[in-house]
Amino acid sequence: MNDAGSLQVQDLLFRFPEQTPLLKVSSLQVASGHSLGIRGVSGAGKTTLFHCLAGITPPTAGHIVWGSTDLCALKADALGRWRHQHLGLIFQDFHLVDGLSALDNVLLPAYFDSWRPAEPLRERARELLAAVGIASLDRMAAVLSRGERQRVAFARALLMRPAIVMADEPTASLDPEQRAQVGDLLVTLTRAQGATLIVISHEQELLARMDRCLTLQAGQLQARQQL
Amino acid sequence: MMHGFNPFPVVRADLRRNRLLAWVTVLLVAISVATGIAVISQERALRQGSARAADDFDVLVGAPGSATQLVLTSVYLRPQAIPLLDGDLLAKASTAAGVKYAAPIAFGDNWQGHSIIGTIADFASRGGALAPTQGRIFQKRGEAVVGAGVGLAIGATFSPAHGLHHAQDDEEEHADPAHSAVHYTVVGRLPARHNIWDMAILVPVEDVWRVHGLSLGHDATDVEHIGPPWNPKYLPGVPAIAIKPDSVAGAYRLRGQFRTSRSVALFPAEVLNDLYVTLGNVRDLMSLLVITTQVLVVAAVLMALLVGFLARRRQFAVLRAIGASRIYVFSVVWIEVVLLITGGAAIGALLGWASSTALSYWMQSQIGFEMPVHLGAAEGVLVGGLILAGAMIGTLPAWLVFRRPIAEGLVSG
Repeated sequence: MNDAGSLQVQDLLFRFPEQTPLLKVSSLQVASGHSLGIRGVSGAGKTTLFHCLAGITPPTAGHIVWGSTDLCALKADALGRWRHQHLGLIFQDFHLVDGLSALDNVLLPAYFDSWRPAEPLRERARELLAAVGIASLDRMAAVLSRGERQRVAFARALLMRPAIVMADEPTASLDPEQRAQVGDLLVTLTRAQGATLIVISHEQELLARMDRCLTLQAGQLQARQQL
Repeated sequence: MMHGFNPFPVVRADLRRNRLLAWVTVLLVAISVATGIAVISQERALRQGSARAADDFDVLVGAPGSATQLVLTSVYLRPQAIPLLDGDLLAKASTAAGVKYAAPIAFGDNWQGHSIIGTIADFASRGGALAPTQGRIFQKRGEAVVGAGVGLAIGATFSPAHGLHHAQDDEEEHADPAHSAVHYTVVGRLPARHNIWDMAILVPVEDVWRVHGLSLGHDATDVEHIGPPWNPKYLPGVPAIAIKPDSVAGAYRLRGQFRTSRSVALFPAEVLNDLYVTLGNVRDLMSLLVITTQVLVVAAVLMALLVGFLARRRQFAVLRAIGASRIYVFSVVWIEVVLLITGGAAIGALLGWASSTALSYWMQSQIGFEMPVHLGAAEGVLVGGLILAGAMIGTLPAWLVFRRPIAEGLVSG
């Protein structure tokens, strides 16, 4: 288990100036290598929580500690480095770079700190693509199907062997057939790597596969299911 | 630990995906640069070409009148009716102190559009400095030396036609028996001078006078003699005299000596300088237009790029969300702008040079002297300045992307 994957949230508060809090989490712990599902209706604060936990949006108050790193104490560039080293992100709309091939999309994080990714990393990218069932490595992202695009996004998120994987509605843009398949891949690959997994989703089947599931209501987390 | 980074995969992908915007940007910059380079290089080429064409005329003497007209008619062989100098002035110039040679420039006839210039052998050989590439300089009446661009072989014979232009009607051309009775034989070809004189035919001036029924400048007993010494009593009027002085001081002295009520004397370079001042003013105006165009183009390009980058703000937010540093994203945006402007400037430089060369080629046939095109410091400043401006302007969208909060970009449409 990687300690960088353990999460402790304390007195987290997020609100816009002069407005009522959008998010208020007094305490949340996730053990390293465990998975957490979060659900909630639209406007409940899911995306804000997701962005706070990923170090994208700084909270108004409180602490978000991954391993021994308090994200609230880091500046923008340090947060970027932390995400690069420890976090794999998956979005509902995949957010691949259309003008790059499937392989180069997976390798993209490697270009953030090297001119040319080392061969072991390139080999890992090929293995990950094989694992998610993408055979044509040189196909442009723009011509891939939605299911294929999300699978490439999974591979990209896992390339740097992150201790944490966070996914925001990873199956919401897919048709019902692909949802189960892609959900399987997400859980299987993350567990195989021993990474902590946090998933925001409406999909019952996917949430049922998490170690724990919480519901976000009006910005506050409530226990829903303990496995 | 960071070991550098590589923004080029993203830059390449962006340019590929937005190729229309990229090409329009490159094209706009290229046209702007090409226009600037063409204007600057053409003005310079015209100046250098015209100056080179005047090299053979140190001091030019003509009848009182327009100095510009005298230069255009004599140096550039632009056909215009100019008053004649009294013939005795030719004899006077030929024997004046400090004169290497004083050559009459007598025109009025042509062969198939090629001006036939009556002069002396010393002018044809530029005082011995210009050796024929074929044959020799004329030595007696009825002989001709042709310029490099005249399509007459050594040994060929021809008759002159009256007028400065080739008559369209052959009958008209041969209607004058005085002209058709004269035959010239080509005895030499001059090397290329890259000016209108390459298209001219030089003959003894006495032959031109004879064709036109004038006295021949020599005693009646000496009808076969060509060139100086002249007998002033028998010298007809001449349109112009080209004097080759033996020194710079001599040139100034001769110019003063022939500035009288009966004649004007000038250095063609002086007249050209006046023209260059006018040309310079035109160039300044054109330069202002070019700079204005470039400012507008750069502004349009900047606007287009800003719109393009705003449309891709989510992509840049995603890059930062998945771990790209702010400097990485800044580099992507900045490199894209610089590549587009540099590419446009490079293509524009090539395009400007090519169009200027083509224009010079066409102009050469119109104005009669070669206009050498080469890219100089001014064009370098133009291209370099634009690239520098692009590099600075590129920091603006890059800075906007750099500053933008990630979350704001992620939720943008």
